[in-house]
Amino acid sequence: MTTERPLVLPGDTIPPHLIPSSTTKPLRLGPGLRHLPPSDIIPVVAGQLITNHQKNSMWVEYNNNRYLPTPGDLIIAQIHRSGPDFYYCSLSPYTPHATLPHLSFESATKKTRPQLQPGSIVYARVVLANKHMDPEVECVSQSTGKSDGLGELKGGMVFDVSLQFARRLLMAKSREEGKVEVLEALGAEGLAFEIAVGRNGRVWVGGEDPKAVVVVGRALKETDEGRLGVEEQRKLVRRLVKGMK
Amino acid sequence: MPREAEPSLNEKQFVLQALQDSIRLDGRELEQYRPLELTFGDQYGVADVTLGKTRVLAKASAELTVPYADRPLDGIFNIATELSPMTSPAFEVNRPTETEVLISRLLEKTVRRSGALDTESLCLVAGQKCWSIRVDVHVLSHDGNLIDAACFAVVAALRHFRKPDTSMEGGVLTVYTPAEREPVPLSWLHSPFCVTWSFFGEDGDIAVLDATWMEEQVSSGSCTISLNKHGEICQIAKLGGVPVEAVSLLQCTNVALIKAKDMSSKLDRWLTEDAKRRDKGGLLAELSAENDRVPDI
Amino acid sequence: MTVTAAPEAALGVLPRADGSAKYSYAGYTVTASVNGPIEAQRRDEHPYEAHVDVIVRPAAGVGATRERHLESILQSSLTQIILVKNFPRSLIQIVLQVEDTPENDYVNTKLVQASLDFAIMPALFQTAVLALLSAGVPMRATATATAVALVSQDGSKTSVVDPSPRDVEIAQSVHVLAFTSQDELLLAESEGDFTVKEWDEVYETAKQVCCRPVPTKEGMEMVLDDEHTSGPDLRHFLRSTMEQKVASDLHWK
Repeated sequence: MTTERPLVLPGDTIPPHLIPSSTTKPLRLGPGLRHLPPSDIIPVVAGQLITNHQKNSMWVEYNNNRYLPTPGDLIIAQIHRSGPDFYYCSLSPYTPHATLPHLSFESATKKTRPQLQPGSIVYARVVLANKHMDPEVECVSQSTGKSDGLGELKGGMVFDVSLQFARRLLMAKSREEGKVEVLEALGAEGLAFEIAVGRNGRVWVGGEDPKAVVVVGRALKETDEGRLGVEEQRKLVRRLVKGMK
Repeated sequence: MPREAEPSLNEKQFVLQALQDSIRLDGRELEQYRPLELTFGDQYGVADVTLGKTRVLAKASAELTVPYADRPLDGIFNIATELSPMTSPAFEVNRPTETEVLISRLLEKTVRRSGALDTESLCLVAGQKCWSIRVDVHVLSHDGNLIDAACFAVVAALRHFRKPDTSMEGGVLTVYTPAEREPVPLSWLHSPFCVTWSFFGEDGDIAVLDATWMEEQVSSGSCTISLNKHGEICQIAKLGGVPVEAVSLLQCTNVALIKAKDMSSKLDRWLTEDAKRRDKGGLLAELSAENDRVPDI
Repeated sequence: MTVTAAPEAALGVLPRADGSAKYSYAGYTVTASVNGPIEAQRRDEHPYEAHVDVIVRPAAGVGATRERHLESILQSSLTQIILVKNFPRSLIQIVLQVEDTPENDYVNTKLVQASLDFAIMPALFQTAVLALLSAGVPMRATATATAVALVSQDGSKTSVVDPSPRDVEIAQSVHVLAFTSQDELLLAESEGDFTVKEWDEVYETAKQVCCRPVPTKEGMEMVLDDEHTSGPDLRHFLRSTMEQKVASDLHWK
């Protein structure tokens, strides 16, 4: 791993020493890079160029606000209407609807499938996404046939956050790598709530007490919009919880 | 045609339920406004108003025209409101939506019909020459309560605006360019402000000030009260089907007066601050700019 | 009114748009919003690439033919740098709202009906590029634009970079040029009378303004360059603006 993370703009030339040169593994290009045959690699967005020599991969770390579906992403989708075989649901405003097959639920058959009303929300996984087709999502794991926590989200409230923040919340080590402490801090204050984070920048928060839900939502939004550090997050949570009582 | 995103059932339910307990999503009190900010442009008559995440830009401009034949002694005053796709991709150019029509009607009633601007003073030669004042309202970002923000922006822009100075001598009308004479402010009579209440619940018993976009989506009705700091009401528009008790409406009006007074003093303060900023160097700077004098030392 | 000497920009000024920028330079202030890729209307849908929609809105009055003309120029040049093939059948919508234009103190504007000056093009173009960068729309390259006016003085013509409204009024011709970050000419629009030789001079002047080499770490080139070029270093400006944005976005890294 190099610690150098230079700023790149679209069309910049990447310094050759930052392109990993492993001969055994294939070079993997992450988001924000374009390969122009034969051997040019060009950034297409503005961000920090990150090179991982061990994995022989490189990508551009950047923030955007428009969610682009990618297979495997966990998202929160809103049902728009039901068709003969699919639900049509929206992943982000003003984009074409994604399809959610009626049978993509745990142990669903034609008769036992869940009946979802327009406007209800589901926690789902993206299975199919490419630029020429509308995305498809599912609420069941293809391999195990179990829901794994996916499915309709009942009650609660949805809060919009930036895509970057949703990604940080979803990181396996969100505390160490993503520098998000806010959820742990809220839990430590004794608030009871459930949470589902969608990669499309939507966070569902459920709980008995609407006050607690609002506090969680505000803590998330203010952490995101105020770009707070770990210490500031703890302070914010203390302040919000104090104001709640 | 991109659709306007509608909040989900969960969100609608939660917002209503929370409001029953007097909780708002951003932690505000029911009668609390979001922070109101105003910045003036480099030119006269440009006001940029932000109210939370709602942002409205108003620009006043003037041109010389012929007065309407049936009103030879009056100048012309217009307010143009158009919601562009910048507000939301669901708005299309040249296709007015309900929101747009409502805003322009309310602004018209509040500012124009209430006689805030003395249109007679805009007339230069009866039946022949007059000023036409136009305010363009641009909504840059929409997070609810566009009307209050737009009205504040229009009033701020008009009070900040300066029109070219003119003189009449022996039947000859001269319009001075800004280089010749400093432009003059409009003859302004009173400053009306809009205060919008939103009602929630089936009997509309929860009243909330300065609703966000999300709250507007679940509200069952709204009431816009336009008034100035003296408590003179210019108009009341009650929209949405829900009936509201007369007594609570009176209560709303009383609170509206407090808010209008608050907005009025804020605007006065910002106008004075801006005047000070422009007057940096004062007269001296102006003289030296035009007449390159050589100091007598 | 004093004209701001250095360009100023703020990114992400509109919280509800995917990307936005406010840019002011030479008396012009423009705010832009970018939304996309979003669903395109049937009539704009293209099976292989995204439709780039540019809307120019004047500060006062409604847009007319003049604005449509500017829109079409901007649309065709921005389509060149956006990787439109990445998003077939979708729409990338760019709305440019003019906020301030420099005033000509010597003339009273007769018409409220807006007629945007040709010299506003660089400001519109630059704001659009900044907003696209802020929205993270994939692009082939970044670009910078400038306006050059040829003013005849005492029989000889001098070129004025970033002309004021007064300059535009007395100019024989006004040219707007944009270059990509790979020094390719992206946009060249001219108005007025001029010869091919004059255009070549304008091209060289504009290229100097738009395509200044990125200063190396030692700062050697910077010093050398400052001696024989005028005007702000647009490319450097673009880079430092984005640097701030990226640093603040990735504060947690």
